[in-house]
Amino acid sequence: MSVLSRLTSTACALVALTGLARADALTDAVVDQHILPTYERLATETAEFATLTESDCAPTSEAVRTAWGEAFDAWVAASHLRFGPSEADNRAFAIAFWPDSRSKTPKALRGLLLDSDPVVNTPEDFATASVAVRGFYALEYLFYDPAYADLASPDYACAVVKAVAQDLSQNSAAILTDWQEEYAEKLRHPDERYRSDEEAHQELFKALNTGLEILGDMRIGRPLGTFDNPRPNRAEVRRSGRSLRHLELQLDSLRQLALLLSDGDAELSQHLTQVFDKADRHAANLADDPSFAGVSDPQHRFLLETLQQDVRAIKDIAALDLGPRLGVEAGFNALDGD
Amino acid sequence: MKTPLLTGAALLALTAGTTAAFAASKAEVLTNYANIAEAKYEDSLITAKALQAAVDALVAEPSAENLEAAKHAWLAARVPYQQTEVYRFGNAIVDDWEGKVNAWPLDEGLIDYVDASYGGATDENAAAALNVIANPEFSLSGKAIDASDITPELLGETLHEADGVEANVATGYHAIEFLLWGQDLNGTEHGAGDRAWTDYAAGDDCTNGNCDRRGAYLKAATDLLVSDLEWITAQWAEDGEARETVLSDENAGITTILTGMGSLSYGEQAGERMRLGLMLNDPEEEHDCFSDNTHNSHYYDGLGIQNVYLGEYVRVNGEVVSGPALADLVEAADAELNAELTGKLSTTMMKLGRIKTAAEAGFSYDQMLAQGSEAGEALVMGGVDALVDQTRSIERAVAVLDLSDVAIEGSDSLDNPTAVFQ
Repeated sequence: MSVLSRLTSTACALVALTGLARADALTDAVVDQHILPTYERLATETAEFATLTESDCAPTSEAVRTAWGEAFDAWVAASHLRFGPSEADNRAFAIAFWPDSRSKTPKALRGLLLDSDPVVNTPEDFATASVAVRGFYALEYLFYDPAYADLASPDYACAVVKAVAQDLSQNSAAILTDWQEEYAEKLRHPDERYRSDEEAHQELFKALNTGLEILGDMRIGRPLGTFDNPRPNRAEVRRSGRSLRHLELQLDSLRQLALLLSDGDAELSQHLTQVFDKADRHAANLADDPSFAGVSDPQHRFLLETLQQDVRAIKDIAALDLGPRLGVEAGFNALDGD
Repeated sequence: MKTPLLTGAALLALTAGTTAAFAASKAEVLTNYANIAEAKYEDSLITAKALQAAVDALVAEPSAENLEAAKHAWLAARVPYQQTEVYRFGNAIVDDWEGKVNAWPLDEGLIDYVDASYGGATDENAAAALNVIANPEFSLSGKAIDASDITPELLGETLHEADGVEANVATGYHAIEFLLWGQDLNGTEHGAGDRAWTDYAAGDDCTNGNCDRRGAYLKAATDLLVSDLEWITAQWAEDGEARETVLSDENAGITTILTGMGSLSYGEQAGERMRLGLMLNDPEEEHDCFSDNTHNSHYYDGLGIQNVYLGEYVRVNGEVVSGPALADLVEAADAELNAELTGKLSTTMMKLGRIKTAAEAGFSYDQMLAQGSEAGEALVMGGVDALVDQTRSIERAVAVLDLSDVAIEGSDSLDNPTAVFQ
């Protein structure tokens, strides 16, 4: 080993040691205050929904729809955490297959209902079904789109609701268990999956960016389309009128993560708080158009465009201030393709 | 804001100075990267011209043999083209152009007749079943279109991405693929599209109507593919815009290579093209669904990632283009990481090779996507997992090469951080 490289490795070791205390605190804070509580809530809400469907599973039941909505809220708050346990066994896709740019969910659900496909009879079989008929979004069609109301017998529709609710609960429980039993440890004490605290931080930073991309480019960007070609039909969960609600829930969750990542940097926290506050105010302006039907009208469209700019401003702060502060790159995520 | 950047640049210059004796320079690596791009696109052009000749022969003298010859030419043309895909992400000039030649998936009912099971117009696409070949006149987005002459201009400027819908793919490899093979109606059973040569026959032999217009469409689409490939090849030649851009800023150029490798590996190939089809059990999610050539598409995409990293490409005539590579830069910065990444790229090729060999032996890619096919799922997920794993090491390469000032440069907000609050 040359003198030069020995010096270099000593320097690296020093950096690693001095970085350790702060790094652990940051990772611990995000895991304990953000990730675990978010997944605990998802597991609890989906379990409650599944339990309810044992006795009440009619797609028209208000109690069923409310329980579905509460569980869905919990998912939206977790929807940016696309790494580790949520990706194993395609759990996140099975919980929430969206965006569905090729209309797979309506097609597959229609087929399922028309055939009264016995795949819903056991959880083991249902776990092999297309992700397009599993999860929250398939139930939204079943609950809120009249075209699906009479395709199958009430008994079969009930069986679908039960199967999806159970599947949601199982996947959510599996994600939480994996986090509790092994994955939190992998982040806290980097070894193989993450080699250093920096790599752990990068994963958490990437989750923030992923969430901001889902929010700005998909939840907002898809219905916006272009000025000449707005796409109100592409608004997420427009059938249940939950589109705006999802934006607000995701903003709340991402604010929590961003502030934890800014880790006591008062100036950065203040900037982030300012832009998130502004985004919340602009979201509130959309209260009379909760499913973004107004994107074709320039006056209404402007409100959603403004909110998209807010999200991009938050992304800029993440790229320019937060990333460099953490000493990490943006990295790659699942949204990098087309 | 200038001072810290200069400091960063000065530090980088020092680092480069200490390693220069041991490693290739960034400029050399970028030149070889551009040389390989030029060779790959030129090979794509050469094989597309062979396809063009085969299509001309089919249209002039329709026969089963000439249709088979055109199919073979198409399959050969895919080999170099798929290896270029690693240039797409990161090189804006390629990404902006790419949709014309390789857009996918498509609502093929826009182009020609389809089976009744295809359905009609959808919420997402009003033109999904337009059938241009059967209709010399139609309206699109409320505008009357005269399609009596099927020309490259009609396809490229009017029909492609008509109505702002990406699934309206009127041009490129997959439009041609559909015209040669037809719809694959076998679901997740074995078998590709089975278009009869008589779809191009003259007079009473013509099946499914409008054979002359079908031939005209096929020829226009192939001519357009050739001219589009001529254009991109020129961009990578000496003084071409793509080459100049990559060479103009060393750190940005190296970042471009890594961005292409990582984005194709993870979001695009592992996610959009492989895992999604498996999760949906949907053969329409096959990349080359008409020809059942998907195993090769995946394989050559993976090979393109590997040969860009290693800086070595085997041309369609067997010649080798090689030179200083990104692997050399990583080796100089962190030899262990280079071994790790090189090993993972090899593992990916082995896993994609398994999919390819199984498909060639008769277990086709659409069968692998069938619900409950454990063997198929294991094969496809083997490729997905390897691609995701190599992406982690690509991220590590980004970190050890210390290119971080690049992402910050070029941002509008750099000189005025408060701008983002306005």
